[in-house]
Amino acid sequence: MLFHSLDFAIFLPIVFFLYWFVAKKNLKLQNALIVTASYVFYGWWDWRFLSLIIFSTLVDYSIGRRLKNEEKQSTRKILMWTSIIVNLGFLGFFKYYNFFLDNFIAAFSFFGQEIQPNTLNIILPVGISFYTFQTLSYTIDVYRNKLEPTEDFIAFSAFVCFFPQLVAGPIERASNLLPQFYKKRIFTYEKSADGMRQILWGLFKKVVIADNCAEYANLIFNNYGDYNGPTLILGVIFFAFQVYGDFSGYSDIAIGTSKLFGFNLMQNFATPYFSRNIMEFWKRWHISLTSWLTDYVFTPLAINYRHWGTMGIVSSIFFTFLISGLWHGANWTFIVWGALHGLYFLITILFTRGKTPKGIVGQNSVLPSLKEIGQIVLTFLLVCFSYIFFRVDSLSHGFAFISRVCKSDWNFPDFEGRLLALQIIILIVFLLFVEYAQRNYDFTLDLSRFRSKSVRLVVYISLVLLIIIYWPSKEQVFVYFQF
Amino acid sequence: MNFPTNKHLFKNSKMTRDLIKVELDIVFRDVLDDDSISLSDSTVAEDIEEWDSINHIQLVVQIEKRYKIRFKAAEIQSWENIGEIIDSIIRKLE
Repeated sequence: MLFHSLDFAIFLPIVFFLYWFVAKKNLKLQNALIVTASYVFYGWWDWRFLSLIIFSTLVDYSIGRRLKNEEKQSTRKILMWTSIIVNLGFLGFFKYYNFFLDNFIAAFSFFGQEIQPNTLNIILPVGISFYTFQTLSYTIDVYRNKLEPTEDFIAFSAFVCFFPQLVAGPIERASNLLPQFYKKRIFTYEKSADGMRQILWGLFKKVVIADNCAEYANLIFNNYGDYNGPTLILGVIFFAFQVYGDFSGYSDIAIGTSKLFGFNLMQNFATPYFSRNIMEFWKRWHISLTSWLTDYVFTPLAINYRHWGTMGIVSSIFFTFLISGLWHGANWTFIVWGALHGLYFLITILFTRGKTPKGIVGQNSVLPSLKEIGQIVLTFLLVCFSYIFFRVDSLSHGFAFISRVCKSDWNFPDFEGRLLALQIIILIVFLLFVEYAQRNYDFTLDLSRFRSKSVRLVVYISLVLLIIIYWPSKEQVFVYFQF
Repeated sequence: MNFPTNKHLFKNSKMTRDLIKVELDIVFRDVLDDDSISLSDSTVAEDIEEWDSINHIQLVVQIEKRYKIRFKAAEIQSWENIGEIIDSIIRKLE
């Protein structure tokens, strides 16, 4: 079920009503309702995939309980690895089976050995990479004694399948989300209104920015041979705002929807395109995945290899970025994208001696300094270059795209629908303006500093109108669903 | 500043903890390049902007060098605050 669909527009008020008016006095009933609603939400795509979530839930719940009563370290380790193998086994099979098989076949054929391919027609369950990482973090934290294992199966099931963030995050930690299922949630107007504001901004980013940018990004990337260099560069910029609007828009809707039910999810994006270097970018982009990879991949690796000196840190950082790339998709293009960011990150550490710029851009002034503007533009260009590999279907497509940018003539961008594209560019500037002005707030539409109700009302009505006017003719799914 | 190496000094007394804390202040200021750092038992990574995951590894290495000790990986990952780091150092030196 997509957030910007009629199905969800009917589903959400029904669940909201049942949650606050029918089940409001019974915490267990509220949690059970969340589990049921989440299974309906997920089953809307394909009921068969529910079995994977339910199996993962059962495995991690049981392992958590066993870990609580187990003191023998070797047995604890076996239990943790059982969870890792089961969860990553599912992920590996559904997401990476054909990728690894194809590469093995190619590697053997390189050495003159022909193997009969036996690839399977596997459908990727929506959001499997997200909920797998979420459940894994629970078991690892329990194993590390950082979290008390739960004895409430319904609460744990709700934590695993909580519908607002189930299919595209934020990837929540059990230490933040699980305890919220133990406590009575209280409905407050302020929190619900904040939730609605965040949903509105998320819809604007998804429907107006991302979906319209997608039209041009798709047109230009799919027919790159027909366009000149500046048009191709514009295509990459459209893609940069498609991905940002799409994914951060989803996160805003997820966080806003959670607020409607009395929950607080972690912030997932913090104006990443205003980052002054790549290190800062990764503190502001997909924060929940970065912190997950930091805690469960980078830190254990870097600790184990800390006595290798610089090599230990460098290889741990680079490996973590490769994993990040592979997490995004079973394709060499994503691995190259991850490797590029790994390189960017290491070069940035070298030049800055590991110092991320302090605070936020324009910390003590209205406008950013010239130096900051230069840093932001450079960081954005580096990110855009990596997006070429994020967007293309194959490495050869990526290299051909770059070659075309370098070799074609440099005239004014020329493509169909330039007038609408100009409108979209103006809307992107509007997006950047609002996000810059609101950069110090937890969410963009926190307009509490404007005392006048009419100012706020004008903003809300304008956004609703923009969403209606620019609703795309073709329904676009969320980019991150494929991950 | 040289920390005393006499084994008998390393009892989990308030004085020992204070001495280690002073030493850790120096290590943290040096690694994180911030002279304003002043640690307490309850200080956590979120309290110091420069204390990120990469600098954390450098801090561990410098602490191990200074006290000529070696922590276990699980021990390092269990630390929640400075107080727990000091506990680990004292355990290693006792």
